[in-house]
Amino acid sequence: MDTKGLSGTQYRPLSEEQVKTIHDAALTILERIGFTFESGLDETLEMLEKAGAKVDHENARIRFPRDLITREAANAPRRVVLFSRDGKNDLDLTENRVHLGTGGAAIRILDLETSKSRPTTLQDLYQLGRLVDRLNNIHFFLRPCIPTDIPQAAYDVNVFYACLRATAKHVMAGVNDVEGFSRVVDLASILAGGREKLKERPFISIITSFAISPLKLCTQSTLIMQEAARHRIPVALSCAPMAGSTSPITMAGTLAQLHAEQLVGIAICQLTNPGSPLLYGGIPGMANLRTMGYLGGAVECGMMNAAAHQLAHYIGVPNYNSSGLTDAKIPDAQAGWEKAVTTLLAAMGGSNYVHHAAGMLESMLGVAYEQFVIDDEIIGMCCKVLKGIEVDAEHLALEVIDEVGPGANFITAEHTLAHMHDEYFEGNGVSDRKSRIKWEKEGAQDAWLRARQIVKQILSGEEKTYISEAQDSAVRQRFDILF
Amino acid sequence: MFDAKSIIDALVEGDEGKLAELVRAALDRGVSAKQILNEGLISGMDIVGEKMENEDMFIPEVLRSARAMSNVVQMLTPLLAEGDVSVAGKVVIGTVKGDLHDIGKNLVAMMLESAGFEVWNLGVDISPEKFIAEIKAREANLLCMSALLTTTMPMMKKTIDAIAAGGLRDRVKILIGGAPVTLKFADDMGADGYAPDAGSAVKVAKAILQ
Repeated sequence: MDTKGLSGTQYRPLSEEQVKTIHDAALTILERIGFTFESGLDETLEMLEKAGAKVDHENARIRFPRDLITREAANAPRRVVLFSRDGKNDLDLTENRVHLGTGGAAIRILDLETSKSRPTTLQDLYQLGRLVDRLNNIHFFLRPCIPTDIPQAAYDVNVFYACLRATAKHVMAGVNDVEGFSRVVDLASILAGGREKLKERPFISIITSFAISPLKLCTQSTLIMQEAARHRIPVALSCAPMAGSTSPITMAGTLAQLHAEQLVGIAICQLTNPGSPLLYGGIPGMANLRTMGYLGGAVECGMMNAAAHQLAHYIGVPNYNSSGLTDAKIPDAQAGWEKAVTTLLAAMGGSNYVHHAAGMLESMLGVAYEQFVIDDEIIGMCCKVLKGIEVDAEHLALEVIDEVGPGANFITAEHTLAHMHDEYFEGNGVSDRKSRIKWEKEGAQDAWLRARQIVKQILSGEEKTYISEAQDSAVRQRFDILF
Repeated sequence: MFDAKSIIDALVEGDEGKLAELVRAALDRGVSAKQILNEGLISGMDIVGEKMENEDMFIPEVLRSARAMSNVVQMLTPLLAEGDVSVAGKVVIGTVKGDLHDIGKNLVAMMLESAGFEVWNLGVDISPEKFIAEIKAREANLLCMSALLTTTMPMMKKTIDAIAAGGLRDRVKILIGGAPVTLKFADDMGADGYAPDAGSAVKVAKAILQ
């Protein structure tokens, strides 16, 4: 079953009326309260002022007239396609089409041999890319961890290099600065066979956390965001307010603030380069009120992320959000239920590009190889829900019921053989469906251990490289590749 | 007889009005400001700190208690004689250069203040030079640094190195924290202490200054 791009319309946490109310509240926030900013954004402020925003330089406050915001939101493209390099995993982010994949910037990983938490490396990033390349229900590869073993100045190019070498799926990551962005575009252009070809089929995209909630522009990230818009490289406008600390404790208040923040990001991109592709990147989250850390696995995260898609859809922009976080430290039962609930809600809500959906543990701090396999299974099941139940003559099967007749069975019917592989979800093998006797004989393994076997099988298999030797030497001549 | 318990309870519950009333009543009965502070308020904040460390209390509740504390301390200050209050330490605190996150760091500052430290909270994006200048100006004996981003953590080491190069390292203890920071990381970069949360920051601060 192809699990990409199925339509998620089954869960709507907000009524149409509530969506309008929140949108209107966001416009009020921008008109009356506005945004603050730091130094270094003079040109951006000038651009906003020219477009009609009121900039109070003395008090560092920008207020936005409603018509400016709605006009610019309407300029953003309704359809954004994120390409893969082999054409097998192109992601058409329109309407309520759902795609799920990895994401995050974890710094710890559970070691595949010792199960102990240790710092993530560039090699981990590459091996995780290889793993995800082979897991069919993970639709894209957003770098899930930071290579803590290389200097920070070397991150941008090396992260993209490791990801692009490991998988043909769409690759997304953040960059440190505008220079890092141009290096990454140069790297991708070499692999694409030229800048124009990259523009035609952008198989990389960028995340920028342009807003620091509540309502503040981050200079560095805003500049990167604008640079991406100028180059027409798709950019996810990430902002992640945490209910209770960086946004109101209430869900409606968090959504209104988040929507306001997104509208400003969209306006800046569209004023910088009209029609530039972007993803509404509101990631509503929650503060753990006992520690002020990030709460990953709360059921409300699933509810609010589905609501964020509704808000993006209302203004006609594809969205990037989050599911599949858990506060569990290992791939245990809690990880299972928290991931299943939030991913199902985000998927049934129609979210276009759901990151964090595979691999994460310990909120956003950790990943585990095995967890990617387990989450591939969860994503597959969630997507199956989106596919729904087909009801037509072939699926109603009246003829077969007649043919088999009362009192017999369907085991050998042609109809069974014809449909048995597509009517029901077939997982990647991590779910145990064996008899107890067989299960005990095979070592009474839990999901974590079964997942580990699948990981080892994939990673010990053929090492496919998606960067040719010629491309590789061109890249290495130009950049300091530490891999 | 001084009823410290009801003051402690009111403080832990964060009931600002009731706390002020109880403190005023105690003063009227002739209890000394020093005794109210030490046996009532500081004991109460110790409990709050412990509950916070054990994650038994929501942080907004902790802050409500801290605010109640600081209001009644203002009432008591004019009545305290010199020597009544022993300053636990002089602290310069800030988020390192390149990092703009301050919620956790501000919590630590507030908890330290409640525990009797003198605190200079420098804010976010603080360069090594700025830290050094403030340590000198305030004659601080404790530096607290925070980083939330994995990408700004190395700036802590740079700051520590700069402090050593400036000849200040034996004058000031260094305590670090922030979501991605670990004890090992703190040890590796030569900090004196690491605290995973604001509640334990106070304990660690007291321990390393002893």
